[in-house]
Amino acid sequence: MTTFFRIIKFAFQHFFRNIWLSLTTVSILVLTLLILDVLLVLNLATGAAISNVESRVDVSASFKVGTAADDVQSAAAYLQSLVEVKSVSVVTPEEALELFKIKHADNPTILASLDEVGGNPFGYQLVIRANSVDNYPMILEALDHPSFRDEIEEKDFTDHELLLNRLSEISYKARLFGSLIFAIFLLIAIMIILNTVRVAIFVHREEIAIMRLVGATGWFIRAPYLVEALIFSLSATIISAAIIVPVAIALDPLLTSYFETPAQLKDFFIGQSPLVFGLEFLAVAVVCLVSTTFAMRKHLRV
Amino acid sequence: MSFDNHKGGMIRLKNVSKIYPPNMAALQNISLHIKPGELVSIVGQSGTGKTTLAKLLFAEEQPSQGEVIIGGWDISRIKSSEVPYLRRQLGVVFQDYKLLPQKTVFENVAFALESVGSTGQRINETVSQVLKIVNLADCSRRYPRQLSGGEQQRVAIARALIHKPKIIVADEPTGNLDTINTHEIVNLLKKINEFGTTVVLVTHNRDIVNHLRHRVITLSDGQIISDEEGGRYRL
Repeated sequence: MTTFFRIIKFAFQHFFRNIWLSLTTVSILVLTLLILDVLLVLNLATGAAISNVESRVDVSASFKVGTAADDVQSAAAYLQSLVEVKSVSVVTPEEALELFKIKHADNPTILASLDEVGGNPFGYQLVIRANSVDNYPMILEALDHPSFRDEIEEKDFTDHELLLNRLSEISYKARLFGSLIFAIFLLIAIMIILNTVRVAIFVHREEIAIMRLVGATGWFIRAPYLVEALIFSLSATIISAAIIVPVAIALDPLLTSYFETPAQLKDFFIGQSPLVFGLEFLAVAVVCLVSTTFAMRKHLRV
Repeated sequence: MSFDNHKGGMIRLKNVSKIYPPNMAALQNISLHIKPGELVSIVGQSGTGKTTLAKLLFAEEQPSQGEVIIGGWDISRIKSSEVPYLRRQLGVVFQDYKLLPQKTVFENVAFALESVGSTGQRINETVSQVLKIVNLADCSRRYPRQLSGGEQQRVAIARALIHKPKIIVADEPTGNLDTINTHEIVNLLKKINEFGTTVVLVTHNRDIVNHLRHRVITLSDGQIISDEEGGRYRL
């Protein structure tokens, strides 16, 4: 127990008696974590942008005039039960007529054609939104269900097919690119941390050799440096969190209003803070500890 | 992993050679025997293998051939994990003091005891006692950079004494000191030897060797060329 407390004491002594080196090391770790946090913010913003575009896409199925409301409702209930479907809304013939009139209010020729047809030319419509753009082909297959496919006059998917495919492709590529950039920066971050810790240990190489020469065991020399690596990691995580959380709070409403969909920055950095910052601390600590162990190995061979 | 009680201060080298790659012989076929309680000066010009010989004694180097026996313990092929136990039974003093710059005088001396898990009370008592011996009791809170060269070397000697070693190896301990400090350090080592500790003094300082008039081993080109009781510096 005495030795344990001595190791903790030595770790804090190293930290505070080499305060400039400690501050430099912590600053580099903070900057590295902030780069990763900014990439996380960008990924969330990209996600919000994609969600926004996806939310504007839907497929509508127009039923034949005279189809019974019960048949339409049962088709809607069936579609709603599918996991791929986010929402199904039923547009009555009256609502469809009203929407048509509003849409073409400035075109008297088209409006006059309604009078020539006489009565309401619209049947029921189902407007279906999927959970993901990739699900639309499956939803269109579902619209071919034998119990109501003969009642459907028209599906407007053919008009959207190209757009949906393109959107799906863009969405996939954006996420893939985001993940790739994050992975590259993560690798760079690991290399920065490895080298930062190596430099910090290199500065102490003579002290490490002296401790060895006066009879300290490798473990007794190494342990305070490992504890110090944990202090570096914890300080860097706390400081980077103290910077990124207010930024996330400030940016969240701006991004939400810009993309008209929740940006989820607050939820991510505050709601899930124990997980997000806990993982950041764990990752930095593991890299620092491994780096310290390897960097010290060379100087302990005295 | 400790010294034999009867041979505690004894040093024996049998046909020891140290060859650095690719083919540089620092020591060639050295054999010597230092009895417990002796004060021996190892002299020679620069590059004759004095420091290599000292490094063999505290296992910073291992011999390429031959045997190194310290206090009855054959350390010729000592394992890395056993080295700390050897060094706790030896005191080592270096030319460049090798003090920990971020620790105070007290902490530098205490470190060796802290590393073996001694209690705080024992550390306080022992360190204070040793600092009094080297006449640095008033400097315990200072950092090495706040001390003169002579004072720093006395801290190094205090640290070497902290485990009450049976052997002290001093590698050019006066190399960075002026005449007054040199004599202080040599007198301190002499006093330590008078209490029964074996002292191996590696030096190329003619005045010190001639002043001590103890056993002198002279090295040249990695070989012993003379070994005289009450000897003088003859190079």
